[in-house]
Amino acid sequence: MSRRFTHMRALIKELFSRHELLHILVVRNIKIRYKESVLGFLWSLVNPILLIGIYALFLGILGRIEGKSFEILVTGVFVWQYVSLCLGDSAGTIVGNANLIKKSAFPRLILPLSMVLANLVNFLLSLVVVLVFVLCAGHIPGLWLWLPVMLLSHVAVCAGVSFFLAAANVYFRDVQQVTGLLTMAWFFLSPVLYSHELVTHSHLAPWLKAAFFLNPMTGILCGYRSILLGYPLPPMSDMALSLGMAGLILILGTLVFQRLEKRFSDEL
Amino acid sequence: MSQAVISVEHVSKRFRLQFRGMRTLKSAAMDTLRGVWRRPDRQLWALQDISFNVKQGECLGLIGGNGAGKSTLLALLAGTMQPTIGRTRVTGKVSSLLELGAGFHPDLTGRENIYLCGSILGLNKRQIAERFDAIVDFAGLADFIDEPVKHYSSGMYIRLGFAVAVEADPDVLLIDEVLAVGDAPFQRKCLHRMDDFRKQGKTMLIISHDLPTIQSISDRILFLDKGRILGDGAPSLIVEQYEKFWRQQNTGDLRSEWGTHAVELTGVEFLDAAGAATAAYAGGATLCARVRYRTRGRIENPVFGFSIGDVNGRLIHGSNTQIAGLSLPAIEGIGELCLKMPDLALGNGIYLFSFSVHSWDHKTNYHRIDNAFPVAIKTDRVFDGCCYLQSSWEAGSGAGVGA
Repeated sequence: MSRRFTHMRALIKELFSRHELLHILVVRNIKIRYKESVLGFLWSLVNPILLIGIYALFLGILGRIEGKSFEILVTGVFVWQYVSLCLGDSAGTIVGNANLIKKSAFPRLILPLSMVLANLVNFLLSLVVVLVFVLCAGHIPGLWLWLPVMLLSHVAVCAGVSFFLAAANVYFRDVQQVTGLLTMAWFFLSPVLYSHELVTHSHLAPWLKAAFFLNPMTGILCGYRSILLGYPLPPMSDMALSLGMAGLILILGTLVFQRLEKRFSDEL
Repeated sequence: MSQAVISVEHVSKRFRLQFRGMRTLKSAAMDTLRGVWRRPDRQLWALQDISFNVKQGECLGLIGGNGAGKSTLLALLAGTMQPTIGRTRVTGKVSSLLELGAGFHPDLTGRENIYLCGSILGLNKRQIAERFDAIVDFAGLADFIDEPVKHYSSGMYIRLGFAVAVEADPDVLLIDEVLAVGDAPFQRKCLHRMDDFRKQGKTMLIISHDLPTIQSISDRILFLDKGRILGDGAPSLIVEQYEKFWRQQNTGDLRSEWGTHAVELTGVEFLDAAGAATAAYAGGATLCARVRYRTRGRIENPVFGFSIGDVNGRLIHGSNTQIAGLSLPAIEGIGELCLKMPDLALGNGIYLFSFSVHSWDHKTNYHRIDNAFPVAIKTDRVFDGCCYLQSSWEAGSGAGVGA
């Protein structure tokens, strides 16, 4: 295990020494995503807004729109959008750069990492829009100190899962087919459209309620809502569980990636 | 001073063939059920127990047929692949021209791609900015540098790729078949640049099928076949060994044979001046080919022909008894003819002879054997091209040497 961690340290050092390449790739990813589209960056706002419209309509028909529902929906969908973009892009980050992988040596982790960071830039910009919405709706955001913690955990989850999917897709192309389904299942299991209280205040078995926070997105969504909407945080033990899982996902994703990357060139 | 910059120790590389391409969960599950997860039935050893060193400032050529393992070897040295067994060590910064422009993104401009590619090769922004003008200048793309590279011609693409890779200022340069692409002026530019590299004492590894070029640029050549080193030594010796090997192995590929077999060519023998069988001639020597035939019945007015092609299948010369004015009223049974070519003017290399026999009106082809007879030419004459032609220079007015 200690050897694993020396590897990790070496990896972090290597990534840091190639930070300029990382930067260039992040910029490349951002440029290419919206190249030759008329709306450009606006798409990262239009998409969630349309989604929010659809869900709001749907929930309205079901008669489930009440008091806080709409602001829960808006914050949930924007926060989830980052995860969903990363999951969608992850499978292609290695397979789609086969040329680069086969022809030049550089830390392979940079490819999925640059994708995750490029999407982070989008997310941060859209967060500003959400903030404007929240202020207009009369909320006073609080708990600012939590924002870096949430962002770090959010990036950790996106990165960890993306690393795993990117590497696995080199060996099994089924991964890119399954990702959509997996994203949808995760979406409904996380409190995106609903408040976490729907689960914690329900009559579910206590162990199921505890398991709810094993999903790092539960804690992360709660955290963002506390920051943006001033909602009370769930108990610290639950938050710690969620955020701990976020870190674990990052570490596991990185370890799997490092194990699989040795034969990328052979397989591509 | 001349320590090993590259050392390769007992390196073997295995590819699992069935793992290549599309692999799905289903096929993995099926393999697991069959118990072949760890032991796929088809594997290929692209390299087997390879060991060699390259010294600082040395230029090593790699030659061998397709599938010999040359590119795999460069990929191991570039660090894009890991050896299955053994280890490789490279000291200093490596830049590889494994595939020119491999790192380019079609939607980005030439400028953006230079930064992307340069940073993949390990340059920082300041270093790229310093080299930027030199790169654009070498590639000759000043007018197009802010266009997306998808609008570039393939030649422009390659020029930009080469320019970035050489300007990366590596300690070790790996070059895979770069000489085969690009037009003649660009190739000369590349060769010139590689010469500069050599003068700076940098180490190079080059793969090429262009034997004369690789022979002239390398200090030493490795000859690989089926993943093993068959030869390692002075360029001229190894190229000769390779050509000999090639003659034995590969002449079958271009060979073809057809006809009515009313006359059958039963054998061709190449003889030197002393009348002994040979497969190689010096430039300026007299080639003599004895062609034996056998007929079914009596054949009126046959025409015997021959042609010479290079290994790429390009026709260099062809003629026949009709053109040469040798009339053969009729032949029957077994016989032979002798073809003589005095003062061979062919350039260095391997040439494939074809022989045929057909009717006077060319309508019936009795027997034709194409590209079946390889002959090596080794000439001391210095010239470009595949044929030596007489030429001389005379100084005209104004070209004289000043007093």
